[in-house]
Amino acid sequence: MSIPVIDVRNVHRIYESAAGYMHALRGVTLQVARGELLCIMGPSGSGKSTLMNTLGCLDTPTSGTYRLEGLDVSTLTDDELAELRATRLGFVFQSFNLLPRATVLRNVVLPLTYTDTPKALRRERAEAALAAVGLPTAYFDHRSNELSGGQMQRVAIARALVNNPAVILADEPTGNLDSATGRMVLETFSRLRDEGKTIVLITHDPDVAAWADRTVHIRDGKLLTDEEERAYAQRSGSRGRT
Amino acid sequence: MKLSDLVLETASAFDANRARSLLTVLGVVIGIAAVIAMTALIGGVKASLMNEMGMSQARLVEIYCFYNREMTLDDINAMQNELKDSYEVIVPTTSGSADITSSTEKATAMITGTYPAYETVMGVKMLQGRFFSQDESNSGQLVAVIDQSAVKKLFGNENAQVTGETVRIGGLDFTIVGVTESGAGAGYGDNVTVYMPLRTCQQRISGATAIGEVLGLAVEGADMNKVASETREWLAKRFNIPESDQEDSIYVITMQSMREQLDTLLGSFQLLMTAVASISLLVGGIGIMNMMLTNVTERIREIGLRKALGARRRDITRQFLLESVCLTLAGGVLGIVLGYAGAFALAGLAGGAFGMSEGTSITPVIGIDSVLLVAGICVGIGIVFGYYPARRAARLDPVESLHYQ
Ligand SMILES: Nc1ncnc2c1ncn2[C@@H]1O[C@H](COP(=O)(O)OP(=O)(O)O)[C@@H](O)[C@H]1O
Ligand SMILES: [Mg+2]
Repeated sequence: MSIPVIDVRNVHRIYESAAGYMHALRGVTLQVARGELLCIMGPSGSGKSTLMNTLGCLDTPTSGTYRLEGLDVSTLTDDELAELRATRLGFVFQSFNLLPRATVLRNVVLPLTYTDTPKALRRERAEAALAAVGLPTAYFDHRSNELSGGQMQRVAIARALVNNPAVILADEPTGNLDSATGRMVLETFSRLRDEGKTIVLITHDPDVAAWADRTVHIRDGKLLTDEEERAYAQRSGSRGRT
Repeated sequence: MKLSDLVLETASAFDANRARSLLTVLGVVIGIAAVIAMTALIGGVKASLMNEMGMSQARLVEIYCFYNREMTLDDINAMQNELKDSYEVIVPTTSGSADITSSTEKATAMITGTYPAYETVMGVKMLQGRFFSQDESNSGQLVAVIDQSAVKKLFGNENAQVTGETVRIGGLDFTIVGVTESGAGAGYGDNVTVYMPLRTCQQRISGATAIGEVLGLAVEGADMNKVASETREWLAKRFNIPESDQEDSIYVITMQSMREQLDTLLGSFQLLMTAVASISLLVGGIGIMNMMLTNVTERIREIGLRKALGARRRDITRQFLLESVCLTLAGGVLGIVLGYAGAFALAGLAGGAFGMSEGTSITPVIGIDSVLLVAGICVGIGIVFGYYPARRAARLDPVESLHYQ
C-alpha cells in the first residue's frame, strides 16, 4: 500500500500564554489516504483549528511527528514550510478570506505568484480551477466583493486548487453559508474527491459530516473513533454534540 | 514573488488609500521641493552672476594692482614678457567718460580704451563692422566701437547701419567702425558703451597714462590657480608690496576663484536650506513609517492569508518595502516638479535679493545629477522608514494574523 498523504503520530500542542498552559492537542494520531474525504468533528474549543493549522504547516507541534507525503515537516525551516504551503497545500476558510478589491482571477492566481509558475501558465491554471468549481466565466473579472457568499467560497476553493495540492484543508467551509449554498460547496468538494483529491474538512455540523468517507471526532484534544464517540456521548448524556 | 507581481500589488494598495497616501507623502514632497527649488535657484543665480561679471571665459584673468602708483604700460609690457609662459595675451584697459552726440541725440559714453585683442579675450560679439585694428590702435586714431543700445539711443533704431557714421565724443569727431552686442546691464540710464584704442582714450579723453583693469588670457590648459598666484607674486615683486599689504593691493580674479567665492557664499545659504529640508524629510519619513505601520495593522488578515498561501517572509518584506519606496519616490517626483516650478516663481524675488541689475533674469538651473540625487534620497527614505513596518509585517504569525479581528 502507498504511504498516506497525511501521517500524524502522537502529536501534542501546548499553548503558552499569560493565562497559563493550554494543552490543545493531546497525543493525536491520524492517517489520511490519497483520495479520501475526511471529516473532523468536535465541539467548539476541542482543538479542531489547532489540528488544522498543524496539518496546514501553519503551526508546529510541541511534540510528535507529522509527515506530509512522507516528508517530516518538523525538520523544515520557515521558508521551506512556506514553499510547502505554496505548492502542496490548499486552504479554504470559514470567512472565505479573499482580497476584496482584487478580481476573481487575481485572487485565484495569488498562490501561484509565490511559486515559480511561469506567468503564461498562471492564468490558464486559474481558469481551469475556476472551471472545476463551476464558476461561470462571466464572473472572472468581477471584484470578489461583488460576489455572493456561495460564489466567494467557490472562488476560495478554486484558489486552494490552483496549485494542484496534495491536500485541501477546509476549516468550517460552510459555516457562513445558508444550507442550500453550503450544499453546493459540499457537492464541489465531493466531485473533487471523486477526481482523486485528498480533502480534510472541519465541521461541527453532522449534515456536513454525512458527505465524508470517514469521520473522526475530537474532544479535549483527543481523537475518538465513531464507537468511542458514541460511548462518550452516552456517558455524558445531553452534553454531547454541539 | 516577481517584481512585476509586486508592482501590481503596490498599485492596488495605493488605489485603496489614495487620499491617505497623498497626505502622508506631503512631508516628503515639501522637503524635496525645498531642496530642488533652492538648488535650481542657486544654480541660476550663479550662472547669472558669472555672466554679469563677464566671466564666461574659463581662461580669463582679471588683474588690478595699486600700490603707491597705478599700473602703466611699462608694467604691462614687462608682464607680457616675463609671464609669457602663463599668458597668451595681456590686454590693458583704461576707462573714461565723456559726452557723446550724434546729429540729433546726446548721451554719456562710458569709454573703455584698450587693445584690439580685447575682442578675443572678452569674446566680444560684433553685430556690424569690426573691432578697431592694430594700426588704428598704434597710431591712436579717432575710431570708436559702440554697442547696440548706443545705436538705439543715438540713432533712434537699434538696427540702423552706423558703421562709417561720425559721432562726437568729448568734442572730437570719431568714426564708428563697428557695433557690438549689448552687454549685461547695458542701456540703462543715459549711459552708452564705447570702445576705442587705449592710446586714443589716454591722449584725447582722459589725459592720463594710468592703466586700470588688465585682462589676461591664460595659455590653453593652464592651471588657473597657479596662473593667478604667479601673477600675484609677480606684481608684489614689481610693486615692492610687503606681505601684509598684498591682500588689499592686488586683485587677481579668475573664473575659478570667483566661482569658489560664490560657492562659499551660496553654499552656506544652501546648507541652511538643506538643514531645513532634512528636517522636513525626517518628519516626512516618520509620517511614512506611521502610515505603513497603520497599513500593516489594517492588513494583518491579508498578511496572514498571504503567508498561508505560501508567501515567505521576504515576499512580505519586499511587498511593504516597495510600497513605501513607491510612496516616497512619488513624493520625490512631485517635489521635483513643484520645486522647479517654485524656483521660477522665486527667481524674480531672488534677483532683487542678490543685487542683480534690472533686466538681468535668473533662469533656474537644475542638473540631472540633482534629480538623480533626490530620487536616491527618496528611495533611501522609503527603505529606512519602510523597513521596520515591513519587517513587522513579515514576522507576523500566520495563524494569529488570519484570525485577527
Ligand atoms: N494561540 C492560542 N493561545 C492559547 N490558547 C489557544 C490558542 N489557540 C487556541 N487556544 C485554545 O486551544 C483550545 C483549542 O482551540 P481551537 O483549536 O481553536 O478549537 P476549535 O477550533 O475546535 O474551536 C481552546 O481552548 C482555545 O482557547
Ligand atoms: Mg475553530
